[in-house]
Amino acid sequence: MIKVENLHKHFGKLEVLKGISTNIQDGEVVAVIGPSGSGKSTFLRCINLLELPTDGRIMINGQDITDKSTNIMKVRQNVGMVFQHFHLFPHKTALQNLTYAPMKVKGLSKSEAEKTGLELLEKVGLSAKAHEYPNRLSGGQKQRVAIARALAMQPEVMLFDEPTSALDPEMVKEVLDVMKNLAHTGMTMAIVTHEMGFAREVADRVLFLDGGVLVEDSSPEEFFSNPKSERARDFLQKMI
Amino acid sequence: MNLDFQQFIPSLPYILKGIGVTLQIVSMAGILGFVLGIILSFFKISKFKFLGWIADAYTSVFRGTPLVLQLMLIYYGSPQLIGYKIDPSTAAVLSFGLNSAAYISEIIRAGILAVDKGQSEAAMALGVPYRPAMMDIILPQAMKNILPALMNEFITLTKESAIVTVIGVTDVMRRAYIVGGEKFSYFEPILIAGLIYYIMVMVLTVLGKGIERRMRRSD
Repeated sequence: MIKVENLHKHFGKLEVLKGISTNIQDGEVVAVIGPSGSGKSTFLRCINLLELPTDGRIMINGQDITDKSTNIMKVRQNVGMVFQHFHLFPHKTALQNLTYAPMKVKGLSKSEAEKTGLELLEKVGLSAKAHEYPNRLSGGQKQRVAIARALAMQPEVMLFDEPTSALDPEMVKEVLDVMKNLAHTGMTMAIVTHEMGFAREVADRVLFLDGGVLVEDSSPEEFFSNPKSERARDFLQKMI
Repeated sequence: MNLDFQQFIPSLPYILKGIGVTLQIVSMAGILGFVLGIILSFFKISKFKFLGWIADAYTSVFRGTPLVLQLMLIYYGSPQLIGYKIDPSTAAVLSFGLNSAAYISEIIRAGILAVDKGQSEAAMALGVPYRPAMMDIILPQAMKNILPALMNEFITLTKESAIVTVIGVTDVMRRAYIVGGEKFSYFEPILIAGLIYYIMVMVLTVLGKGIERRMRRSD
């Protein structure tokens, strides 16, 4: 379980997160929604400490990851991240992208890492592309490899930072389908997204952020059909 | 213009032997410069400001003074610095290596900074520590981009190595000069030396292109 308590993040004088508190249960899929600049990406990046919180606490399975003595690398091994722009390693093949971290960080042998790597590529429907370099893949394929790469570390939590925002429209579905399958396996997921349909269908809960404040924390049905706040209503109106 | 290459044919093997001397100095200086250049570039991007200052001061001094001066300083200064005179070719390797490290560190620093920040973030997000992320993910990509600039530096080094002549290392240049002195005719042997340098640079260029092609496999 992820427990976020009074999370603050400043960039110099700019206060991006103004005290966010929420919980994410094991196996829960949470969609983080909000206008640009609302702090949703920063919120996500705090959970694997790509951004260090200025104040507040984040507990993952009872461990305070914001504590100074926490091994950040160990935390990140347990929290997978998928980026908007994929960030695959361009000088490694798809399979090498998957096997690098497990071999380097977890000390898996090459054959072990390749075995799990190939299984994961199979799961995201890209076995045939195992030995291709990222440049030879389409955007949707790259993002599916990136998801598989994060899964290769066998994380307990997966974070998605606008995973479909950089994709051509016809490639969005293939990535969302992979994420949907992942959600069905019981993975704990936090997804920053603009795909309202997907959030509504797959998410167990919606967090609506605006101006660094968690404005709404509710079920998708409630959020989309009957948003409590003016700002959420306004936002949803502009989305459609 | 009356060129007489005939009379230099017996001296040709002597001049050609200088290629080995030149190549030895250049390759050893190149390795020294490259290794030291990588270390200095790490200093420059380090979060410890102090290391950055050291590396910047280093670059500033070696870029700000003539190479021939550095060469003579090391060669003629060695008795006062370390108590005995060092071998001229050692002085050459040292000064060329230290000098090109200054340039190479700038090239590598720029190359590292040009790699998309997302690459190190992706490595971090996978729990990969800084050092392996740097070595396995960032540097290989940086190297690919800076290869032409690095090749340029090695080519410069090859040509500039001719100044070892001033401290008496018998490289291609020096030998051509000696042969010219024997025959009281400098024009032809120096033309021959020029051709030799040109061919060496061409070989380096072709080699560089080959490496670049191999590294672009993933494109």
